Amino acid sequence: MKTPDSGRIRSSLRDALLESRSHDGTWPYVSGKQGRLEPTCWALLALGRADGRGPDLEALKGWRRRDNWLIDVDGAPPNQAFNGFAGVTCLAQPHGRDLIAPLAARVIEAKGARFPSSDVIRLDASLQAWSWVDGTASWVEPTAWCLLFLKKYVKFAPAPVAAERISVGERLLLDRACVDGGWNYGNTKVFGKDLWPYVPTTALALMAMQDRRMEPVIQQSLAQLEKDVASERSMSALALTIICLRVFGIPQGQVQRDLYALVERNQTQWRDNLLGVAMALYALEPGQGADAFAL
Amino acid sequence: MRWSPGRGQTRLRFDDRMPDAHRSLSQLTRRGFVATLAAPVLYAGCRQGRPYDSRRFTVPSRSAVGLFPASSYAVDFADLISRGLRELGVHLAGRRVFLKPNMVEYERDTAINTHPSVVVGAAVACRRAGAAEVVVGEGPGHRRDIEYLLAATGLNDQLREERIRFVDLNHDDVRMTPLASSFTNQTALALPVELLKADFVISMPKLKTHHWAGLTCSMKNLFGTVPGAVYGWPKNVLHLYGIPNSIVDLTATVRPHLAIVDAVTAMEGDGPIMGRPRALGFVAMGTDPVAVDATCARVIGLNPDRIDYLHQAAEFLGVIDAGRIDQRGEPVSRYATRFEVIAELEYLRQQT
Repeated sequence: MKTPDSGRIRSSLRDALLESRSHDGTWPYVSGKQGRLEPTCWALLALGRADGRGPDLEALKGWRRRDNWLIDVDGAPPNQAFNGFAGVTCLAQPHGRDLIAPLAARVIEAKGARFPSSDVIRLDASLQAWSWVDGTASWVEPTAWCLLFLKKYVKFAPAPVAAERISVGERLLLDRACVDGGWNYGNTKVFGKDLWPYVPTTALALMAMQDRRMEPVIQQSLAQLEKDVASERSMSALALTIICLRVFGIPQGQVQRDLYALVERNQTQWRDNLLGVAMALYALEPGQGADAFAL
Repeated sequence: MRWSPGRGQTRLRFDDRMPDAHRSLSQLTRRGFVATLAAPVLYAGCRQGRPYDSRRFTVPSRSAVGLFPASSYAVDFADLISRGLRELGVHLAGRRVFLKPNMVEYERDTAINTHPSVVVGAAVACRRAGAAEVVVGEGPGHRRDIEYLLAATGLNDQLREERIRFVDLNHDDVRMTPLASSFTNQTALALPVELLKADFVISMPKLKTHHWAGLTCSMKNLFGTVPGAVYGWPKNVLHLYGIPNSIVDLTATVRPHLAIVDAVTAMEGDGPIMGRPRALGFVAMGTDPVAVDATCARVIGLNPDRIDYLHQAAEFLGVIDAGRIDQRGEPVSRYATRFEVIAELEYLRQQT
């Protein structure tokens, strides 16, 4: 198999990100469209890692806010998952801590809605972790982002009330793990049928649970991730797997080679998938210092 | 005039929705669970007046639905769908056409998604009919990872071969859009700009049973137009507003101009994901999505009047009465069968 020219590919990914930056310093999901919170955070992290200086947080400093939430889409409810991710992004810079105290308070306060238990969906409905938008149930991705954010946040700003929220978030993720390990969007069994996990959500939930690595569910999910990533392939799936394995200290060699090959093959589609481009650059960049996702 | 709640709503009494201390929460059934999710909205929805402006909607006196034979996915779908467009009198010259297939999950040997050959066949047929632009777009409600879904299903390769653009509706720019009806008691929803820019929207579902809604067809398929990057995965706000209510409001707002249903191989049982593939051998088409969905329900042995959202939609959006549906192509009787459904949905077979 031909060895990918890793430096050239990373340089191309970096150039693609810089070229797609909006005039206001934000990034859209698709080149030429409106800047959004999630791709902006990924782009800032990726470029900051590539440059060795950490993310440039200017774009987030000026981000539009409402009640201390960062607003992704005017008129739409605040997206709690991407606010959690924005918190993780800010914490990758020492001075970013000053930006996020109000956001941390918001995240600590936020709570998924409580619904009655059901005999057709197997889950512990008493666990109110984090939802995508206020008033809805708790799901895996927002819980993982908010949990990771709070776990990083309390390291320098101890907040007793955060400990309870962290505990609920962990319990929810353990409860929502699929039968053989791993996570999907957040349902494990519906009408008696076991649902299967997805690679991106598994990688993300594992990152949020990296300090609970001795839990059998975490070990099982790591094994499931390494198995599934061989067949469930996309730039974001491979990139998140690399980042996840890196924070767990597990070699990522084969997945890295696969991602280099995939990004090169998909080059004509980069403009339509800036999230994948930014994730791939972050994952493939050797970087210096601590990983933004490591606790 | 006082608004008469739809069938599903009349069956819900407040006591059913709010379990009391003597009733274990774990005893909630499917119906009870769905009802509880929808409770705040339904309660608020019991108000004066219809949840739509009847001046904005005209139910056609008659609607045409075509069932066109397709014994396998090897047939020429561009030809088949071109025939359907002609028989239904659909004119696409100069139109900006948006095709909305149904993509949810991928698992080998299942019938979860609209088959790529049907999607691309429709796109080619639209081009042949003179469409100025044809775009395909979807926003899966479970999997965020559209790159994986497109590759795994094979749709990506087929779209690239025909140089057809795909739009990920979960991550597109959005615009807050007023809802044309208010069964959900909501006034606006963020919807993808690429969808809103189109002047001809085609809903292209896979025909499936659905363990919450009863039936996935051209109306339920519109859940995929709601952007996940705004509302999350799954699109839980739609569950909270009530699934039938959300289906009706989305249909009233998006107003698909045409439905093309992949019923070559459909799904029965525990749809929309865990059910079994079931060969049916046709593609259904029609300009009235309510009539198309009602016809497909009849084919698989369900009573459309029992399906909450069809019952609601028949008030103001389209036709479900078989006597007012003009059949094109093959008759319903050629394909009529009895799909398996989960036990909780057996009531959908009953005649009213």
